[in-house]
Amino acid sequence: MTTPTLAMSVLRAPRVRRSSTTFAVSAVFLSAVTVAAILAPVVAPYDPNHVDLLNFQAGPSTAHWLGTDSLGRDILSRMIYGARTALLAPLLVVVFSTVVGILLGLLAGWRGGWIDAVLGRAFDVVFAFPALLLAIMAVALFGKGLVGPVIAMSIAFTPFVARLTRTLVASERSRPYVAAYRVQGFGGAFIALRRVLPNVTPIVGAQSTLNFGYVLAELAALSFLGLGVQAPTADWGAMINEAQSGLIGGYFLPALVPALAVVFVVVAVNVIGEELSDRIGGELPA
Amino acid sequence: MTILDISELTLDLPNGTRLLDGISLTVAEGETVGLVGESGSGKSLTARSVLGLLPGGAVMGGSVQLFGRSVLDASRGELLELRRTRASMIFQDPRAGINPMRTVGDHLTETMRLCDGRSAAEARAVAISLMEAVHLPRPAEHLHQYPHELSGGMLQRVMIAGALTSSPRLLICDEPTTALDVTTQAEIIGVLAEQRASRGMGMLFITHDLNLAAAICDRVYVMSAGRVEEQGDARQVFRNPQADYTKRLVAATPTISVAGDRGRSPVDGSDAAATGVRSATAPVPAEPMLEAVGISKTYLRRGKEPVRAVIDATIEIPRGGALGVVGESGSGKSTLARMIVGLEQADAGDIRIAGRERASARASRAERLAHARSMQMVFQDPYLSLDPRITAGKAIEDALRLHSRLGTTEARARVIELLEQVGLRDAHAQARPRTLSGGQRQRVAIARALAIDPHVLVMDEATSALDVSVQAQVLGVVERIRRERGLTVLFISHDLAVVRRLCEQTVVMKTGEIVERGRTDELLSTPRHPYTRLLIDSVPRPDWQPETVAGEADALEEAAR
Amino acid sequence: MTALRRVAGKLGALLLTLFLASLLVFFSRFLVPGDPLSFLLRGRKPSAEAVAQVSAQYGLDLPPWQQYLNWLAGVLQGDLGRSLQYRQDVTEVIGDRLPVTLGLVVMAGAIIAVLGLTAGIVASLNRGRILDRAVLVGLTVLGAIPSFVGSIVLIAVFAVQLGWFPSFGSGEGFLDTVYHLVLPSIALALVFVVLVGKVTRSSMVEQLGREHVEVATSRGLKRGTVIRRHVVRNSIGPILTVSGVLVAGLLVASAIVEAAFGLAGIGSLLVQSVDRLDFPVVQAIVLLVVAAFVTVNAVIDVLEPLVDPRAAAGVGAR
Repeated sequence: MTTPTLAMSVLRAPRVRRSSTTFAVSAVFLSAVTVAAILAPVVAPYDPNHVDLLNFQAGPSTAHWLGTDSLGRDILSRMIYGARTALLAPLLVVVFSTVVGILLGLLAGWRGGWIDAVLGRAFDVVFAFPALLLAIMAVALFGKGLVGPVIAMSIAFTPFVARLTRTLVASERSRPYVAAYRVQGFGGAFIALRRVLPNVTPIVGAQSTLNFGYVLAELAALSFLGLGVQAPTADWGAMINEAQSGLIGGYFLPALVPALAVVFVVVAVNVIGEELSDRIGGELPA
Repeated sequence: MTILDISELTLDLPNGTRLLDGISLTVAEGETVGLVGESGSGKSLTARSVLGLLPGGAVMGGSVQLFGRSVLDASRGELLELRRTRASMIFQDPRAGINPMRTVGDHLTETMRLCDGRSAAEARAVAISLMEAVHLPRPAEHLHQYPHELSGGMLQRVMIAGALTSSPRLLICDEPTTALDVTTQAEIIGVLAEQRASRGMGMLFITHDLNLAAAICDRVYVMSAGRVEEQGDARQVFRNPQADYTKRLVAATPTISVAGDRGRSPVDGSDAAATGVRSATAPVPAEPMLEAVGISKTYLRRGKEPVRAVIDATIEIPRGGALGVVGESGSGKSTLARMIVGLEQADAGDIRIAGRERASARASRAERLAHARSMQMVFQDPYLSLDPRITAGKAIEDALRLHSRLGTTEARARVIELLEQVGLRDAHAQARPRTLSGGQRQRVAIARALAIDPHVLVMDEATSALDVSVQAQVLGVVERIRRERGLTVLFISHDLAVVRRLCEQTVVMKTGEIVERGRTDELLSTPRHPYTRLLIDSVPRPDWQPETVAGEADALEEAAR
Repeated sequence: MTALRRVAGKLGALLLTLFLASLLVFFSRFLVPGDPLSFLLRGRKPSAEAVAQVSAQYGLDLPPWQQYLNWLAGVLQGDLGRSLQYRQDVTEVIGDRLPVTLGLVVMAGAIIAVLGLTAGIVASLNRGRILDRAVLVGLTVLGAIPSFVGSIVLIAVFAVQLGWFPSFGSGEGFLDTVYHLVLPSIALALVFVVLVGKVTRSSMVEQLGREHVEVATSRGLKRGTVIRRHVVRNSIGPILTVSGVLVAGLLVASAIVEAAFGLAGIGSLLVQSVDRLDFPVVQAIVLLVVAAFVTVNAVIDVLEPLVDPRAAAGVGAR
């Protein structure tokens, strides 16, 4: 009302505006990696599994831009092929957890009551299993590979999305604009799906973008532990795992390249996610 | 002796926006000076500049002299000293202004212990005596209580006591009663006046409420958009305003005093329409348009006493009539409104609209729509009652098309028509709520309600979030629509003066019960229930009657259109 | 009285969550299609002795709910079954490995507390200035370094190149152990420093903008006093909440770090047991981590009123 309104808030919070160059750079970088992954057979200079024992652990050269690993395989080509699992697996997890999480969160937040209580308890239980732990358990049950972990991570991340959605929906539901729709005679399903849902989706979406980075890192970690993607297949995490023994001998490149790739992709995704949630400007509940 | 002298104060944001543009004002010892203005006028910024509370980034110009010492270029130590010994400030919202995680006692004794080096026991004794001075009921007990255990009015007393710990010579009050009920406001004002008199402090009192300023201030400054529009003796300024802005402000401010603003009350002025409508059905007393009989609502709370929000309330409004429901927070007036529009289920009682019983549980779509056509509502907060994603035009169009078979073109045309009826233009149809001002949003909300062509329009504190001049415009729109359409209005408000302007009939609610009902003018001039009398007496008004400037202001308003 | 009822309520919720989690841990085995015996003995020669032992241990001929009850009764008495790879009680196997992991987690926790809080507080007090931006950028970059990447970079630089720290094993004796755990705990802490730093910053920034801070300032308190008395304490809530999540995160992420640095903790035991198809150990560790997580969060929940008196009264915080 008549509090030191706008003026004070402007003075109080000089907003840190990230230059959108970082945003642009991140977007270009991610697009490039994505395109390379999709067009891997065309783009990659070598067969990622071509072994050349005479030319192992070589440094960068015109023939091998990023050098070769302990079996003489071209690191660049393995990176390009490895980008496929690196990007696709987290994408599946994020899409699944976002869609299911939003639906469950909407259900809990909109209907409230016992549905909310039951779902809330279920989320609590799943929360108690950190994503990586659930993924490791999936491997223990169903064997090595990415299928089990991807399903496990999808389940593990769903409650994060669902809780956020629930909180947002519940707060929207108590807003007068929703009461106004009711008074106008609109039905509950219409208000929930056509009016409230679109209002909360952008905020949830921006959060899910940030989840992508976590999932990518955790799945790479799983392969690094030798529980995810298995040996000859090109995968960033698995590459680091294989190159680990070379580290002691001072051969850093085969491990460092995929490690940096993970870092760069995660930074890029996070920059984009944070920028998106800044732009949407939705207040995240605590 | 002048204790505060602000001259040619300017404040610019880093981006170049000028928020204060050459403010000059003085406060003398023992004097109460009002700083009056609407939101965005810069009055709070001006007040904060006195204590150097403006955060970095703001570019200041001019000078602020407090007891002859310049505040704007004071060193950090000097500033601390001024704050500790010379001037203190009371803020608007005591709930936000006192650290919720520390006890009341900590709040009160903090500066004495940490800055003045007094012992804990000594500080506690001072705190208790100050709490007694501001009439807190149980000082020793309050020391150990947390803010959430006290009511808003009590917290504001704590805030005042806290400000007095330093025995200031100047007390700055920034809207200290705006967040409070009117009866609490009267008590707080009483405490402030008492302390000012007994201590001989100067007081700088910031408010948006003209009546309040007129009631307590010796001199006033009227601010608008970062400038002082007018200043002078309070009586002079409000009785005989010179600046156009002040004239408009005075005219827009509703009062409850019966003399002094002819042509403003619906009883003799604008209710020609209402009587016109009534006279059409005059021979037989018409069946009421809205009838609510014996409505009750009790909220059950887990582990706590149930709250009886509304107890056996009965109201009726004739076709084309306007009924005001007045009460303070917790009186149940909003719950009553929400039950009538069907947002809450009543535990008991019947609600009839246009003689038809309202179905209690609205199951089918047809029933839902029929109910919506009988009753529409305008909510308090125009910033929250519109969907942020939906443009004004779309919001109205959605409502229209839900209730009629209009085609796209017809609906669009009707939208423009409705927007024009509430004083907006077709360009506003494209605007999203956040680009509209509060007044514009509330107009959109009204247009949206009218799109459904309801029998009854319920307005729940629909103008209380607005500045007075905007409020006057919105009330004008509602009056005109009543006149043109014979709309029946249920008007919920905490503000007797606003109700008086719009409603022929008024009921007064207190803790869930209707304590008095009657014609608004009679109820105001000869209240029968003690609570009604208390409410009326609590409304601030000057002890002199403002001469009417209404006529002149009306002419001005016309000219401004 | 209300406080007691609150604690009882939290305790009930804790037990319920633990119970549901134990169901999940136990019955997960039943998701695997096929004969439970062959699942448990995957990759091992099903010697008559092993078959008899596993069957007896799991009571495989009993109905599932009875198997669960037997297992639960065992767990409650500290009997987590027998490891297939070590032919030892799981409790013993885990007990041997626990100290290393706890040491790692404690050291990482200390690093997180010091660096995270400092970064967050420094950034918030310089909000909008260069220092704030620098901290934020630093945190964003650090936050993108997963612990396995952190591990190999630290090994490459500080163990291999500079030779300052060992790259392998957990050492003997207290000081040597601490020395061995320096790099691993840094690698483990990285991501969580960022988490704590960001939460601290935003919580502090939020409190700094509160009106009661302005009131305190207007009363003539020094800035340091205002921050100490009215900002820091009020900001603790979200930080506490995040530290609850941290515990589970650290325990799980220690698997990665222990594997990278060749530490014999329960993290590497978990990975190794998955690798060697030793399901009883996997089950036990999962249960342990989950129980630790749920318990720590319940404790934090119970402690909340000590920080925020409104929580005790059930008044919405904020």
